[in-house]
Order: sequence, then C-alpha cells, then structure tokens
Amino acid sequence: MIELRNATKVFPDGTRAVDGVSLSIGEGEFCILLGPSGCGKTTTLKMINRLVPMTSGEIFVGGREIRGLRVTELRRRIGYAIQEIGLFPHMTVAENIVTVPRLLGWSKGRRRQRASELLELLGLTPTRDFLDRFPSELSGGQRQRVGVARALGADPSILLMDEPFGAIDPITRERLQDEFLRIQREIRKTVVFVTHDIHEAVNLGDRIALMRSGRLVQFATPALLLAQPADDFAKGFVGADRSLKALRLTRVRDVMDPKPPFVGLDEGLESALRLMREHKVTFLPVVDGEGRFVGWVGAADLERRGGTVRERLTAYAVLGAPDMPLNEALALMFESAVGNLAVTDGDRRLIGLVTFNRLFVFLQQNYEKTAPEEVAS
Amino acid sequence: MLTVTWRYLSTHVPYVGQLTIEHIRIVLVANGLAALVGLLIGVFISGRGRERLAEFVLFVAGILLTIPSLALYGILMAVLKAIGADSIGFVPVVIALTLYGLLPIIRNTTTAVRGIDRPTIEAARGMGMSEGQILRRVRIPLAVPVIMAGLRQAVVMNVGIAAIGAYIGAGGLGQLIFRGIANTRPDLVLAGAVCVSALAIGLDLLLSGVERLVTPRGIRVKGER
Repeated sequence: MIELRNATKVFPDGTRAVDGVSLSIGEGEFCILLGPSGCGKTTTLKMINRLVPMTSGEIFVGGREIRGLRVTELRRRIGYAIQEIGLFPHMTVAENIVTVPRLLGWSKGRRRQRASELLELLGLTPTRDFLDRFPSELSGGQRQRVGVARALGADPSILLMDEPFGAIDPITRERLQDEFLRIQREIRKTVVFVTHDIHEAVNLGDRIALMRSGRLVQFATPALLLAQPADDFAKGFVGADRSLKALRLTRVRDVMDPKPPFVGLDEGLESALRLMREHKVTFLPVVDGEGRFVGWVGAADLERRGGTVRERLTAYAVLGAPDMPLNEALALMFESAVGNLAVTDGDRRLIGLVTFNRLFVFLQQNYEKTAPEEVAS
Repeated sequence: MLTVTWRYLSTHVPYVGQLTIEHIRIVLVANGLAALVGLLIGVFISGRGRERLAEFVLFVAGILLTIPSLALYGILMAVLKAIGADSIGFVPVVIALTLYGLLPIIRNTTTAVRGIDRPTIEAARGMGMSEGQILRRVRIPLAVPVIMAGLRQAVVMNVGIAAIGAYIGAGGLGQLIFRGIANTRPDLVLAGAVCVSALAIGLDLLLSGVERLVTPRGIRVKGER
C-alpha cells in the first residue's frame, strides 16, 4: 500500500534528517515509526503526504509515485492527525470533521451524516448540540477524538498519525489507544503512526520501524523487536524490561499446558497424590463430571489418606482465558494462593494450565537469544 | 466655558449636524479605501517568502504616518494640481487619510494572517487544502478580530486628522475649530473638539459592534456568544 524506496531528506543546512529509508507497508497494516526525538520519524511521515518534499528516493502510495499526483489530491486521499490536533477553532465539530468531504464536494446532507457516523465510531454521542460545538468548548480527550474523526473524514484508506495521543493524560491516553485499536479492527486502515513511546508502539503496532539518526535500525513485529533487538541501540531503546513488555504480546494459549493433569471430584486422594508426584506439582486442578473446573486440591491437603478429592477441595473462581495476555495472567497468578492459573473455555471446561515454571521456560526460550535474526537493511 | 459651548451647540444643531455629516463622509470614504487597499496589501505581503517585502512595506507605511498632516495636504495639493485634478478640499484630504489609515490595517492584517497557530495551518495543508483555500477558509476568518482592531485604530486616528482638512477647504468639524481660532472664540474651538472626540468614540463603538458580528462564533471571547 505504501512503499518507501531509499527515501532521503536533506535539509538546506545539510542535516540528513532521513537517510535512505526503505519500508514496505501492507494494506490494513498498522505500522509504527518509533525512535527518539530527532530520529527522522516525523519527517519520514510527512514525506508520505508531501508536507516535507523528498530530496531523493521514491515513495509509492497505492502503486503510484507520489510526485506524479497533484499534491492536494494525494493529501485528500490520506487521513492526517497530529499531536497538536490543529482543529479549526472557528469551525464547529461537524464542520471540522467533514473538512475533506467538503473539499471533495460532498453534499451538505451527506456531510452531516458522515460527521455523526464518525463521532459515533469514536465513542462520542453525535447530538445536535455536540455537532455544533466549537473546539474551545471540548475537553482535551474530546478534541483528540474529533481530530481522529477528521482524519477519517472522507474514509481514506491510509491514515498518517503523528503522536495523536501524545498531549493527553496517561489514563485518557491508554483508553484512546485501546479504543483506537478496536476501531482499527473494524475499519482496517493502513496506518503509519509516529511515536517515541515504546509502550504505545508495542500496544498498537503490527510492525514497528525503529529509527535512529535518520536511518532505519529494525523493522519487525513488536514481539520480534522485543525478543531480538537488532543492535545495542535497539536493545537500549526497547528497555531492560523488554521481556516484561513482551508479556502483553503473548497470549495464554501460547504458554499453557494444553493437556494438564487434573483429578475428578470423586476420585480418591491417592490418585491425586500420584498425579502430583508424577508431574512434580503441588496443586492439581479439579473438574466435575462434565470436565468443568471447580477448584484446586493441594499436596498439603492430602496428609490424611483416604476419602475423595471432594472433601479436600479448595473452590476457586479465578479463571484464565486462552486469549488473555500474559501480563494479566501473571497478575492473576500472583494474587491467587495457588500460584497456578486454570485456563477454561466459555463453558468453564478446563482446557489448559499455566504454571510459573512454564512461564519461566517460555520467556527464557524467547528472550535470551543473542543473535538477531531479522534485521532491516 | 462649558455652558457657552453647550449653548452654541444646542442653538446650531443643523449647522453642526451638517459639519458632522461632512466629517463622517471624509472619514468613511478614506477608511473604506484604506481598508480595501490595506487588506489586499496586507494579505499579499503575508505570503510565504515575502518577509522582506513585508518589512519594506511596513517601513514605508510607517514613514507616511510621520509626515505632518498639513505638509501632506500641501504636497498632495501640489501633485493633484500638477496632474490637473481637483486640488482642494475633499479629494486631497481623502487621499491623505487613506495613506494614514494604511499602516494599522496593513500591519494588523499581515501579523494576524501570518500569526495563525502553526498546527492549524499544518492540519489544513495536510488535509489537502490549497494555499488559496487555507487563506480563505482558515487564515482570514481567524484573522478577523485583529484586522478589525487595525481598522478601528485607523478610523479613530483619522477622525482627528480629518479635522485639519478644514484648513484646505474640505469642511467637517474642523471648521468650528479654525473659525474659533481665527475669531478668538474658545467656545467654538471647544465645541469642535468635543464633537470630534464624540464622533471618534461613537464610530469606535459602532465598529466594535461590527467586529463582533463578523468574528466567527468559535473564536469569540466566552460570554459574547
């Protein structure tokens, strides 16, 4: 959808702000341009809609070289949102949102409807009162949303976003990120998103292009960037806690034991003890006759021989789901007395088990490799 | 003294009214021209890459303002006479006031148009507005309050300078002042001065109303919506 070939920007003072960057971004992909300030990420973004003219190289948007298109036409096909938002203070919310549709000559009725649609998409109630408000009458979070709605105005297939959630408080920011992810799943735009925040990058991106001094350091999925940073700079930038950051990228299903040991409610304690020894665990999940998880039985409960598991059961309601991110699973495990997490399907049927040991082994396998495998040229 | 002045004004209502109308006519024609020319020049010199030109234009407009009004009237009369135009009264005064009114209007226009918040302009450009569309739909509407402030300043200033136009036969409230001086009648001088001041204040109030009307709703000061 977007392809940069050796894109280079040299400013009149000789600074090579962007130096031979080549990137290929697929349709519907969420691509993050990440790096410290002054690394050329914003300049790279602005070369795509020609706000910054390229010095050399080529950029293709939808298969066409951007300098072959009329600049206004190119920009009207690409949504653009910036950190400062830049809403027009003399225009209402509705007028702001349909700026591009108006440039494209849409009818008044269609524009009004589009404004309502977009507000709804962004979680704002499109009342008449709200549509006719001015930017000065909105809260920071609302302005940010209207800014994004405006970028989506004429339903462009490409969105360029320059730290669009940069200027708001961390709580609103995280909520906006989550909401934007939900919206993106619905609208599947090709997004190029600039940020200096590794957390934001890891949360949002399908792929991350890490930049430094105008050059591309690494272009990889968040998981790969965290697991195998290309060089010392990348390693330093993703941070010493990269393995913890990676937890949110991994789902419980990738780590859990899909065939966990378990005992039935009415089995004897002896068989529970035998299973524990066999699997070297101190807790066993207990299921009822239909395979539903009902709680745990621990080694300490088994001192007295005889009887069934039912008599020694510790009922427990905290459950993991297969698509839960590992950071949440880990939190649940810390909070529980058991230290293990039973994973169940929608019917509470036991389908897996996560233990600290499995987690540890998994993280070690993925994050202790030293040889980087995917390094961008 | 004030009572004498008041007696004069109250007994000469038609005459003073006539002079006031003449005065307003001069000021409005001159400032109308100044607004038109000043806006065009102001917008033109605010364009990208015209910073040097803007500096030069503002310098020249500033110089114009330092020429004493009587001298400017004299120069204009000579020039008009040389080209065979109407060289006394209304025409030279209107031309002089137009020139004086240019500086505040050009200065405010160019400062306001150029001074629009950078992200606003970047957003407009990024969404595919042409430079002309940015000027018409974003820069000028947002510059209105500052441009209007320049216009008001020009009008208030010119109401005063127009009074001196009576000296070269343009009529207006200045006539009361000059007659008062010639006949040692301070009550006439005071009557003229009071009327000129009142007119300046009145026109300023009127224009502040106009300013509110033409200022886009979204950028009006809270409480004025």
